[in-house]
Amino acid sequence: MTKSYPFEPEEAPPEYRGLPRINPLLCIGCGACTNVCPPNAVIRIDDCSSGTRRIVLDVGRCIRCARCEESCPTGAIRLTREFEAATDDRNDHVEVVEMKLAKCRNCGSFTDYTERQVHKVLSIIPPGILDFERIRDKLPLCSECKRSLTIINASRVGGEWR
Amino acid sequence: MIGEFERTFGAVLEKKTLGKKKVLYALRVRQEDFPKMVRFLLSMPTVRLFTMVGTDERPFEDAFSVTYWFADWREGEILGIRLYVPEDNPEYPSVASFHKGALWFEREVKDLLGLYAKGLPDPRRLILSDDWPEDEFPLREDFEYYSSPLSERKPQYLPKIEGTSVHAIGPYHIALDEPAHFRLFVRGEEIVGVDYRGFYSHRGIEKLARGRMNYNQVCFIAERVCGICGFCHSTAYAQAVEEAAKIEVPDRARYIRTILLEVERLHSHLLWIGVAAHLTGFDTAFMRVWEVREKVMQLAERLTGNRKTYGLVVVGGVRRDLLDYRVSMIEKFLKEIKKEFDRVVDFLLSARSFVERCRGVGVLTKELAREWDANGPVARASGIDYDVRRDFPYAAYPELSFDIPVYTEGDVLARAMVRIDEVRESLSLIEQAIDAMPSGPIMAGFNEIPGGVEGISAVEAPRGENVHYVMTEDSNVIYRWRIKAATYNNLQTAPDMLRGYTIADAPLIIASIDPCYSCTERIQVMDVGRWEPCP
Repeated sequence: MTKSYPFEPEEAPPEYRGLPRINPLLCIGCGACTNVCPPNAVIRIDDCSSGTRRIVLDVGRCIRCARCEESCPTGAIRLTREFEAATDDRNDHVEVVEMKLAKCRNCGSFTDYTERQVHKVLSIIPPGILDFERIRDKLPLCSECKRSLTIINASRVGGEWR
Repeated sequence: MIGEFERTFGAVLEKKTLGKKKVLYALRVRQEDFPKMVRFLLSMPTVRLFTMVGTDERPFEDAFSVTYWFADWREGEILGIRLYVPEDNPEYPSVASFHKGALWFEREVKDLLGLYAKGLPDPRRLILSDDWPEDEFPLREDFEYYSSPLSERKPQYLPKIEGTSVHAIGPYHIALDEPAHFRLFVRGEEIVGVDYRGFYSHRGIEKLARGRMNYNQVCFIAERVCGICGFCHSTAYAQAVEEAAKIEVPDRARYIRTILLEVERLHSHLLWIGVAAHLTGFDTAFMRVWEVREKVMQLAERLTGNRKTYGLVVVGGVRRDLLDYRVSMIEKFLKEIKKEFDRVVDFLLSARSFVERCRGVGVLTKELAREWDANGPVARASGIDYDVRRDFPYAAYPELSFDIPVYTEGDVLARAMVRIDEVRESLSLIEQAIDAMPSGPIMAGFNEIPGGVEGISAVEAPRGENVHYVMTEDSNVIYRWRIKAATYNNLQTAPDMLRGYTIADAPLIIASIDPCYSCTERIQVMDVGRWEPCP
């Protein structure tokens, strides 16, 4: 029964829920995982002055519930079968994915979503249902400009909608 | 119970129906009638105090409320009586003054909400640490969940009984790896009195759930209430929310929950049988029982992705389906476990040293078990025929057949026998559930959870009933969540079980309750070395 672990490798079963990892190529920074994570192990930090968003995953806080995996729209965050989390440096537990926030095309300030989110949205709009070019013109807008443009457009009786 | 109660007292009460056979009465006038009502209910032979909830209802009722929930296990009825307690005069009549089982409930409400039961026999502090200020009440709405005030340390121990000396067990139990401090007052070898100080692992997760979690995140912290019967807690919580929001759980999800609940009972009982063998000095049996348990743990890992903390339940259903290859895996594992368990039990019970060590020790009479509202294997070993699975059916239990072992001796051996019999019943329940497994979805579709609705639900955990009460609020938040674990009542019987026996019996008697301090105190202890929850 006794194994000579850790001198021989120990495999977890295929169903095992182990340490989560983010694939930075797939992550679009939407923050769906940060909304569902019960212990707030993955959080979203926006820096509006430098225009970056960081998705910070701390496996030291993680409870391996796999809610993030369920909610991720691109399959970027996945639970692996790794279970050996011990380390002498706390920073080894933290994984940071940084990406650019989109710039508002009206006022030039940073919006509260990323460039990758814009690409994702544009890529999943079904052709023929919505006017593709008009939506492309509207994106990206920050929430303030969106609100004021909506009011301006709505008050323009009979006028052209942007 | 409900019919008789309404005929006698209906005139002064405001009635609210929560579900089938579940009603809540609000007593707004004539609070002095309340003890009479409780006496009337508890005089019925099959009525027990289920749980008690104190809530800060000042935002909408302009008062605090305390609700006593009673359960009639023959009729399957649940009845709540709610008293409103004004802020300027926070007092209400005590039930503990004539019914022992209410003692910790009322002490807890005093600690957490600052409501005083008039005539409470033991008004010492129960939950909060000794250095918590007297005028800070963590469950009040105006207390932020992240603050932790400090003041002078004032421990409140019971005074020593004349002519005795004090023998301390704890603050760590020798076998169960959890913090609990017993002070035994002994005359020579004999225990004549017991003082208990626990709640060292209280971390206020009810407040945390109120402060920063939504209703689906709470499922996961509920699972971490206990390192052994966590799945029972998350199921009980999810059921309470489902009842409050009137969500119908799909059949397949109910069956999957049942299978996992029984897998959990298997590993918990096997753990306990092993610990009991260890405490009686029979370590060979301890190793062999845990060898069987290891198979159950591996099965759980293959089914859910982890040995413990299955993470399977969310409100409305379950997250992982029971795929075909998993079904055949369960069948294979069950066959092995059954064969080995029979061999190991024969081996254990053939040892006179084990049987004689447990026989006649730690006797809890039926009367005392009733007074303290003992439940689970402790009650069933003392002749109380009560099991939540049969009496308040949930998940798939109404469609499955099983026996409930009841013994009348009330000693440690009877408690061991109840658990051994229950392992066999669990194995048969899992087989039945697999055979009868319906197809279909595993998650219910539902809209937003409405605010201001209440639900109460119980699950038969390996140790007894886990009762969860939930009151919701708008925007997917839980307003009040109350956990009552089985050990909450069972642990209170420990002083009565210990009295008259010797110091050497104490660890075995305490362990025979299968106490789960973390459940009772609502937090999990983690052995970081093994990445596995401690018992």
